Amino acid sequence: MRRFDMYVPEDLTDLLEYLDSHQSGVHIIANGSDLINRIQRRQVNPRVLVDLSGLSEFNYVRKEGNTIRIGAMTTISDLIASPIIDSRHDVFREAAAKFGGPSIRNVATVGGNICAASSSEDLLPVLLVLDAQVRVKSKLGERVLRLEDFLKGKRVTELKANEILVETMFHELDEQSACAFEKIGMRNSLIIAFVSATVYLKLDKKSKRAEQIRIAFNRVGGKIPERAKHTEEKLRGEVLNPQLIDDAIASLRSELRLSSDFRVSGDYRSDVACVLFKRALDRCVEKLV
Amino acid sequence: MAKHLLKFSVNGKDHALVVESHERLLDVLRDRLGLKGTKEGCGTGDCGICAVLMDGKLINSCLIFAVQARNKKIQTVEALGTADNLHPVQRAFMKWNASQCGFCIPAMLLAAKDLLDHNPSPTDDEIREATSGILCRCTGYVKIVEAVQTAASEMRK
Amino acid sequence: MVMVEERATVENLAKSRHLLVVGKSIERIDSLDKVLGKPIYTMDILPENALYLKVVRSTHAHALLKRVDVSKARKHPGVVAVVTAQDIPGINESTALLPDKPLLASERVRFAGEPIAAIASYDPAIAEEAVDLVEVDYAPLPAVFSPVDAFKADAPKVHPDGNIAKHMKLRKGNIEEGFKQADIIVEETYKSQFQEPVPLEPEAGFVIPEPDGSVTCVGSIQSPFHVQTGIAKILSLRPEQVRVIQAVTGGAFGPKSDEIPVDVLGMAALVAVKTRKPAALAYTREESMIGHTKRHPFVTTLKAGVKKNGALTAWETTMLADTGAYASLGPLVVIRACFHATGPYVIPHVKTDAFCVYTNNTMAGSFRGFGGPQAHFAAESHMDAIAKKLDMDPLDLRLLNMLRPGSLMATSQVVDESFGLEECVKKAIEESDWHRKREQFSKMKGPKRRGLGIALMYHGNSLGPEGSDYASVNMQIEKDGTVRFRTGLTEYGTGAPSGLIQIAAETMHLPVEYFKIDPPDTDYCNDTGPTVASRTITIGGRATQMVAGELHQKLKEIAAGMLGSSAKDVESENGVFSVRTNPRSSVSYSNVVRSAYDQGVQLKESGTFTAPKCEYDPETSQGTTYLQYTYGAVTAEVEVDTETGQLQVLKMVTAYDVGKAINPLSLEGQIEGGTVQGLGYAIMEELVHKDGVVLNPNLADYYIPTSLDIPEIKSVIVEYPGHLGPYGAKAIGEPPIVLPAPAIVNAIDNAIGVRLNEIPATPDRVLIAYKRMIEKTQKA
Repeated sequence: MRRFDMYVPEDLTDLLEYLDSHQSGVHIIANGSDLINRIQRRQVNPRVLVDLSGLSEFNYVRKEGNTIRIGAMTTISDLIASPIIDSRHDVFREAAAKFGGPSIRNVATVGGNICAASSSEDLLPVLLVLDAQVRVKSKLGERVLRLEDFLKGKRVTELKANEILVETMFHELDEQSACAFEKIGMRNSLIIAFVSATVYLKLDKKSKRAEQIRIAFNRVGGKIPERAKHTEEKLRGEVLNPQLIDDAIASLRSELRLSSDFRVSGDYRSDVACVLFKRALDRCVEKLV
Repeated sequence: MAKHLLKFSVNGKDHALVVESHERLLDVLRDRLGLKGTKEGCGTGDCGICAVLMDGKLINSCLIFAVQARNKKIQTVEALGTADNLHPVQRAFMKWNASQCGFCIPAMLLAAKDLLDHNPSPTDDEIREATSGILCRCTGYVKIVEAVQTAASEMRK
Repeated sequence: MVMVEERATVENLAKSRHLLVVGKSIERIDSLDKVLGKPIYTMDILPENALYLKVVRSTHAHALLKRVDVSKARKHPGVVAVVTAQDIPGINESTALLPDKPLLASERVRFAGEPIAAIASYDPAIAEEAVDLVEVDYAPLPAVFSPVDAFKADAPKVHPDGNIAKHMKLRKGNIEEGFKQADIIVEETYKSQFQEPVPLEPEAGFVIPEPDGSVTCVGSIQSPFHVQTGIAKILSLRPEQVRVIQAVTGGAFGPKSDEIPVDVLGMAALVAVKTRKPAALAYTREESMIGHTKRHPFVTTLKAGVKKNGALTAWETTMLADTGAYASLGPLVVIRACFHATGPYVIPHVKTDAFCVYTNNTMAGSFRGFGGPQAHFAAESHMDAIAKKLDMDPLDLRLLNMLRPGSLMATSQVVDESFGLEECVKKAIEESDWHRKREQFSKMKGPKRRGLGIALMYHGNSLGPEGSDYASVNMQIEKDGTVRFRTGLTEYGTGAPSGLIQIAAETMHLPVEYFKIDPPDTDYCNDTGPTVASRTITIGGRATQMVAGELHQKLKEIAAGMLGSSAKDVESENGVFSVRTNPRSSVSYSNVVRSAYDQGVQLKESGTFTAPKCEYDPETSQGTTYLQYTYGAVTAEVEVDTETGQLQVLKMVTAYDVGKAINPLSLEGQIEGGTVQGLGYAIMEELVHKDGVVLNPNLADYYIPTSLDIPEIKSVIVEYPGHLGPYGAKAIGEPPIVLPAPAIVNAIDNAIGVRLNEIPATPDRVLIAYKRMIEKTQKA
């Protein structure tokens, strides 16, 4: 592996100060798993790595009012073990269950998932349908953005060179809302999804009207997780019935622009995306019965 | 910041070493501390063969820089037992001939110990889940699951 | 040293009635060190201050090397040596069979990843940096990437003599006559992929230059003597000047048996000899997946003639095997595939043409199964295709045509009574609940469908016509009674050498604990051939019986002397020698050993067992191709998600006629491991090349089964002792990988009515085939 320096900040203030004064060739690592591979493959050649692993104060899952807040250094394992991620929020367990393997989940962080900005990060579509926000801090202050706006493209985020992601927040699910995640890969563990589909549904139980619906996939038209907003439009405010859902699936098919690679074809991905969407939607409805 | 003083504990023993930034935990365990039991199968975190316990959690030692292990307690396969005093998982693996080429065995043993420390009566599915991040090419996993069940029953006594 | 040819007789087999150790599931002797995490693998025992090598590899699939300039690399600070073809004192060759492959490319590269140079430094990162400093000018040549294309007359030539490295033929009866007799003809083409072996320990080796000009090579190896010969040639040394020691090896499956360890140790040896320092080379996982040999992809066209009642009349096969840039043992793989192309059935008229074809892909070579998986995938898929056409239960079609004692194989070899296939089929049908489940599954509705499929196999044991089939064993009893066992046959996970100890202990009536196996080392082991072809127990076991028997005889003679009796009147049991007619007149093993030492009698024996030669006509493959056969029947129960194409393999029954299970627990371990490796081959594994470049040389994108992917596996062991192996044991290392693919493909057909002619049966292939079938049905 190529040589580089490492900076270990003492605390958040020290970290923000360092990032503010050193901006080129600097890469932040939460645990390093993603970056180590990229360094070995010569895709990136950092001068300095900044190690966040000591900032344990960002490993938390909290509820404040109706908002759930997850610290950026929370590992996937710690996330799904938190009692705040209760059965109503089981979608996180569904997404985590097939993310890597146990040893990966013990070090992969929520913040790492977000900043990697890639279709292989299974938590991203879940946070997108929850309309999550992210808080970033710099020496100069902090700002809050919608996750959707934070993600710009593959491995590209809104994060400036002197900024650090500190937490993500979203409105908790209530008794009228449910969320479900579906994923398909080549085997049952250690997989990067061919396709994943996540649905958030807020249903008026009496009228069966979809008061709110958000749908996200690991890819829609680009290379990062996104929401399928045209398809959401077809369903939002409508009473759910089989014909409507079929129409939505037809709309989804034309909204998806999924590419082929040596693993599977774009057509296959589209076909399966439609199937997984329907399954996730059906499970949301079941969860609300 | 190319060199760091790393203070950590490995198998119950405290160490203070000067390590370089790029050294992975795997490298320090094997090359600096001479603990060769932890193996490298791929170097990219895809096979789980390098797994060790860090503060009681199973992690891939090829994906952690040594500096990130500061102040942590590391356990490798060498901590499990000795020839005269084998850990029940080690005894069980021997009984079932669950070790074939042996290369995945250190990681499998640690995953098994970790599981049994938290879940003394696992189902076969739970055992398979606990070992699902470690690849084995020789055994088809069957005897490994049997061995963990035998160890579980031993440890419950 | 004694050279003996011996055939196991029925009398010998009868002696196996009351066994103390053979047939028992005792603990393997190598487990303790492995569970303790002892430093026993190659990279655990590197010499101090060894140089580390990094290899410069071709970025082109086919090109002339116009210029290779290592000067900048040589001057790079920290680089101790750079070696190219120019630095080879002997012959620039590292091969398995044909002299077609260099150690380091000099004029031409034939695959993307071919070694061109090696750089050595005490710091591996520096060696890696210096790789970028080597300048190579390539003049690209037209390249070819499929065996079908390479087979054409006008294809670019990978080697000067053309692209066909081997053409193996089988001719039985008259194929035209056979088709005339048929009521129906069924013709299909089957395709299978590059399967990557993935031993969890990548290739590794180091070489120590000795003061007397010899070298010591230590590595992750299957065949120490092949390495010895290869390194000697490269260094221009006599074989006795090259010592090769096998370190504990973390999995092999084939690539570590032929030229690949010669590549690894050859490059290390060049550096060691040049610098007079120890030199080590460990492949990264990526290098291993690109650089070592894999399973040959096959394109197989099959045309079968069958009568209305299901009786097969004709079977015509053409196989094209993609051997990649260099042949490795490809010619032998197609020989085995050729012999087994029909599956275990009686067919009067057979014509098989199997071609080993060069392309500019990475190399294919030895890999567990060695042509058997490819042959059976095609043949056993075809049996189901025929059954489908005849609207016949695929089980009934098989039972009708199956070999039986007295019938003729495709090679016209007569099936002998050591034939357990019928019982394997019976057990597989019972355990899988064949009839009831298939009935139940046919009525399923909804998006998830289940199916049950079956496949049968036979596997000619040991090398047969592939080479001289011998094994050597040395045994010596030390003063304290420890029996040191030495053989060049290697342990790399199979447990077979532990099985040899069981055989030795049984023969000498001593506890297994008295025995110790030394590491295979060319200094003190006799040449024993390669550890391949599942031959350790069969051939190695016979050598063990022989040598242990002689040593035991010696002990009896000494005991007889001490007891005032003659050897033929002395019995032994569990370390006690006594006079048969007067059991109280006895002497202990340790006293016998002491007495031997006192008398200056050497308690040392060595011997080589050589299997009888196989005679057959090389133009028609008619004759005796193997001395005994392993048989098997496997069923697979699958669930298909018809909306996503995903498969779950729920249960497999794996019934094998193993002749005699030396250690049933270890044997099950081999069956289970091979079955899961075969399951990977069937549904998820594919090393993908594009224009000769491997797209997925890593374990994230090349999928092998995890613990969450395994089905319930029910192993059934059936024993019909053969004439070759000790106690009638048959080869079992390879057979378990052969049948999962056709069994699963046949189960998919049972579930959703679709025949997949290409593996792996990935979700997208399954879904596309299913949708096509639905469209067709709707149009009809």
